[in-house]
Amino acid sequence: MASKAGGVAVDFARIYKSLGLGKETIAALQAFRKRNTEAKRLASHYASQPTTVDLEHYRSVLKNKAVVDEAEKVLKEFKPVTYDVNSHLKAIETFETKAVEKAKETEQAVDRELKELRATLANIEEARPFDQLTVEDVGNAHPRIIEAVATMVSKGKWTVPGYKEKFGDLNVL
Amino acid sequence: MPQLIPFFFFNQLLFSFIILFSIVYIFSKYILPLFTFQQVVRIYITKLSKKN
Repeated sequence: MASKAGGVAVDFARIYKSLGLGKETIAALQAFRKRNTEAKRLASHYASQPTTVDLEHYRSVLKNKAVVDEAEKVLKEFKPVTYDVNSHLKAIETFETKAVEKAKETEQAVDRELKELRATLANIEEARPFDQLTVEDVGNAHPRIIEAVATMVSKGKWTVPGYKEKFGDLNVL
Repeated sequence: MPQLIPFFFFNQLLFSFIILFSIVYIFSKYILPLFTFQQVVRIYITKLSKKN
């Protein structure tokens, strides 16, 4: 459904589906749309109402003319109260900046995630089968092994317990 | 002067010691730890694959 306002059409169905927004954002968007349509409906409703009062009609109908005169006087003296909408505008602006900030944050988070995913994908694609694995690969994957070997060697421990039993011994002597 | 003949071997002696110590250093620092590293890695990956 596309709602048109001021010549700008917003395809909400596309926004809901294709952008992959969070539940919270979609709910907020829907609430905003609801408010917008409600406001539009009310505006059109009130715009179609008559704004003038036919005082002559009341004069001809009512016996008490003084009341009608008084009503006319009040009506002429009536001035619409001017509202200060600046505070509302300010609130809207802060909301907008907040929304923009949040959107930027989300964009950055998505970018970061995408980069990580790409790195993972490259890792998977470039991975070698197990039988082609080298000792260096294992060391690079787990630097803690290299550290452990360094401490072992510095303590004069050159053999691993349980290695001979498992893999045998090629020593002649 | 025959009594000086042993000193002619000083050269050989000096170089053999230099080479010996450098070989010991290179082996203990760079080559032999690789064997320990290999053993540790072998034990590690067999332990990893033995989990089933």
